[in-house]
Amino acid sequence: MENNVQYIGETLWPGQLGHFFIILSFLSIAFTAVAAYRQSKLLVHDDTSWRTLSRIGFALHGISVFSIIGILFYIMLGKHYEYGYAFDHVSDDLPWRYIFSAFWEGQEGSFLLWMFWHVILGAVIIKTAKQWESPVLLFLALIQTVIASMLLGIHIEIGDFVYKVGSNPTLLLRDVFDAPIFNKADYVFALKGNGLNPLLQNYWMTIHPPTLFLGFASVTIPFSYAAAGFFTRQYTEWLKPALKWSLFSGGILGIGILMGGAWAYEALTFGGYWAWDPVENMSLVPWIIMVAGIHTNLIARSTGRAVKSTFVYYGLSFVLILYSTYLTRSGILGDSSVHSFTEMGLEPQLIFMVASAGLLVTFLYFRHSRQIATPVKEEAIVSREFWMFVGSLILFFSALIITMSTSLPVLNAVINIFNPDFVGTVIKDPIPHYNKFQIWIAILITLSTGKTIYLRYKDNEISARRKKSLAIKFVIFVAITALLTYLTSLWIDYFHWKYTLLAYTCFFTVVANFALIIQDLKANSAMVGSVLSHAGFGIMILGSIASGLNEKTITSNPFAMRDLMPEEGLADAVKILEKKPFFVNDYWITWENDTTESFTKYFKLKFEKENPSGVKEEPFYVYPNLLYSNDLTKVAAFNPDTKHYLDKDIFVHIAGLPAAQLDVNNAKEIEDSLVYKRYNVGIGDTIDLKGTYAIVENINFDPQREEFLDTQSDIGMGANLSFHSKDDRYHINDEVVIGLKKNMLYQYPVVVNDLRLKVKMDESSFDNYFTQENLLKYKDYKLKSGESFEFNNRTYILEGFNSDIKNINYSREPDDLALKGLISYQEDGDRKLLEPIYVIRDNRPFSIKDYEAKGGTHIRLAQIDPTNEVFVLQLAQDIRTNQKITLDIAENVPRTDIIVLEATIFPGINLFWLGSIMMMLGFFVSLGRRYKSKYG
Amino acid sequence: MKKMHILAILAIIAGISIIVIGSKDVSTYSSFAEALKTDQSVKITGTLDKDKELIYNPEVNPNLFSFYMKDGDDVSRKVLLSRPKPQDFERAESIVVTGKMKGEEFVASEILMKCPSKYKDEEIRIRAEI
Repeated sequence: MENNVQYIGETLWPGQLGHFFIILSFLSIAFTAVAAYRQSKLLVHDDTSWRTLSRIGFALHGISVFSIIGILFYIMLGKHYEYGYAFDHVSDDLPWRYIFSAFWEGQEGSFLLWMFWHVILGAVIIKTAKQWESPVLLFLALIQTVIASMLLGIHIEIGDFVYKVGSNPTLLLRDVFDAPIFNKADYVFALKGNGLNPLLQNYWMTIHPPTLFLGFASVTIPFSYAAAGFFTRQYTEWLKPALKWSLFSGGILGIGILMGGAWAYEALTFGGYWAWDPVENMSLVPWIIMVAGIHTNLIARSTGRAVKSTFVYYGLSFVLILYSTYLTRSGILGDSSVHSFTEMGLEPQLIFMVASAGLLVTFLYFRHSRQIATPVKEEAIVSREFWMFVGSLILFFSALIITMSTSLPVLNAVINIFNPDFVGTVIKDPIPHYNKFQIWIAILITLSTGKTIYLRYKDNEISARRKKSLAIKFVIFVAITALLTYLTSLWIDYFHWKYTLLAYTCFFTVVANFALIIQDLKANSAMVGSVLSHAGFGIMILGSIASGLNEKTITSNPFAMRDLMPEEGLADAVKILEKKPFFVNDYWITWENDTTESFTKYFKLKFEKENPSGVKEEPFYVYPNLLYSNDLTKVAAFNPDTKHYLDKDIFVHIAGLPAAQLDVNNAKEIEDSLVYKRYNVGIGDTIDLKGTYAIVENINFDPQREEFLDTQSDIGMGANLSFHSKDDRYHINDEVVIGLKKNMLYQYPVVVNDLRLKVKMDESSFDNYFTQENLLKYKDYKLKSGESFEFNNRTYILEGFNSDIKNINYSREPDDLALKGLISYQEDGDRKLLEPIYVIRDNRPFSIKDYEAKGGTHIRLAQIDPTNEVFVLQLAQDIRTNQKITLDIAENVPRTDIIVLEATIFPGINLFWLGSIMMMLGFFVSLGRRYKSKYG
Repeated sequence: MKKMHILAILAIIAGISIIVIGSKDVSTYSSFAEALKTDQSVKITGTLDKDKELIYNPEVNPNLFSFYMKDGDDVSRKVLLSRPKPQDFERAESIVVTGKMKGEEFVASEILMKCPSKYKDEEIRIRAEI
């Protein structure tokens, strides 16, 4: 189809260049792998020619990756919508600051982000790894080759099957889609970008993905070292450099995962930081295995044991990263995840990627594992390495359980291949399912981290003296722990003995770990990192018990649904009416007002707690908001707001709005369904309605309604109405307005939510007061400056002239001769001024009239006789014989001033964040120490 | 016996018991017909019945949302959810509800929606712009 059309407006070079660099990035990194392989195989290390070639290959690859990224940014920043990537991810109104988010919103962009970090990490390896450079680069390059293939965009036909190898992000839209619009040569000008999903227009989206992908990329390095060690038969030498990288990886990946949790908690309305969602799980699992690997790596460095386990853990962590990529990008998770992902049709390639990585790890392991010597003598049960190894097994189990449960959709798909009738299974209630097992994992981990830190490497037995001192210490720890558990139980509920036990073990590890450095910081300075991480883990779990188990919904109304719903306490939202304080569970909630800034509407909500004696305390404001879609026609997302206290958070979000507020189409539908009745009324008239009545208080010509004033109309008229309930208990005043702007009439209806009324003023009312120009009868007055005249029982004085003209109906042109007359009259003791304008343009005179709405007076400066200084004024009067207005009133109108609100208290959530930060800090403290000390 | 062997045996025992315990949390997707027969909570996957009404009126009850869903056997039933209407519900391609039947109605405690993939959306959009 395209062949027949000569397109205009397309920019083709970025696509061609992009395609070139995509091919180059793939070939250069494959070449790097080959060169690094040759160099690694060389026994004589002073021949570095292959190493040089591998570096050149890697540099070329780096340049290619940066160029592809640059081209994509060029396409996106230039809004070249003829390219699919720009069309999908940006739009004209997308703020600049979200350009990065838009870049990695797409799968190709996130692959590029991953590759980008591999390039950076590879450069660090080349710079610092010395003798490890080539073998590590070999594996890094192999992995990068597979990822680079994800961008190739090649279609291979085998018989009837077409296999898609990679997806090229620099393709033209018309090469991806076949749509009739591409029959038009100038289709480019008709395209508008889809823009970034409003949910992702968020600063978390700017920082979370790069951190997480640095975490993903960093997992490659410890594995590459392990593989390099096996490949070059340096079976233990790799352990030292690998440990630094795995600490780095554990820290960064952990931060990346936590940022995801913080995002979910702070900015999304999931109502928590962790939900055991498959996508969350599959980024957690590689981290858990990485942590297990760090522990066996420590064992291996200190005792020479667990070398093979370390290899397995690093390998597994790496394979799990790829597996997680497969799960989240292939669409196989389907219904089981709230994260929705676009499917690119790359499933076979993703499976190939995971399978080949798995095979690589297995192959290296079985080929080399027998070469690794293990100490003959078994580790003693009192040795630190024994318990650290047990700890790593617990972590492994944790990861295994999560992976198995999360992989259920994969299992379903596999069974389906053999048995097409198989109906897939699903976990009924995921959160309790995961918690049920992980609670025991957490108990075991906290117990062993509290204890193991007091054991020593290679200890066969503990001397009697140390035994005694340890026994005393542990008695003290147990006592403090019991006290802390008791004291906190006064603050939060533990509900179940399992949680009490978990809290107990968490306090135990916190106490035991801190005690170690409190007793003797100097002697134990090497342990600061692990103390931070282990105590941090305990604090983090305590925080999740406090906030998760004791989460309390302020807005829950357990009585509302009792007869309808089987489970009580399900009704978690309340409706709040504007400016009407609402009391629920000790809190007064008031929606004071709302403001709209570009695409976001903020609701100002005041919360006050009422104490038992009826006094309102600790008032605070929150501003939950909603985000409109890019065309402002509907609500795209709701954003929460949180009030932070030291001991708790109060999390508030809008859970719903009336249909009319959500979408203009709904609003239109509802408007169309209203039944309006017509009333012809004058000032002082009463309009009788069902259950209510309204009185026309006055009719005026300078309406004060804000919406009207904002439009800067030419003229307007308003009717002030008072609305009353029949029993006169309620009344409210409001102004219904009609305005004229550039010959168009606009209505500004009144909605009286409390009486369910909507009032519009009909256009005919306007004609009753404002007479059209051709129906006016002008009267001429010839006079000199300073003279006065009478018109319609009013005295006017021609005061003089002025050429300083500011009038929206007049715009000056260079050769204009323009003059305005100043005609004054008295009204209610005030001097009022009318300023008609007289213009000579291109030797032709014309006049611009002035108008005074209250009296309905039109005035023109019709002629100027400069020789005699005589001026002709024309005046006319609006015909206002019918002083009535026509109102259309609908009753039973749905309210528009409703928000549905959910507010939740999360006690002790700061413990969760504090613990998390401590845990991650621990990785970097350990890493820093390993850089400084010669211990390494 | 070596300690590692003891650990291995413990691990195997733990593994088996986890699978046994965990497998009880698993069920197949059910249907309205099956839900009628049990008072257990079930999961049903289906699609929104667009011919029938979808009601959410926060003015009356902010915690009641009702709609009709067609299950895998094409049986359409009213579903009640004691929560505000989820955002973009009408656009959901498929819906998974967890809950039980109460009389003729299915009372859902949990709901999950799958929204259409972006690409289909774009296709529609491009076609619409002709």
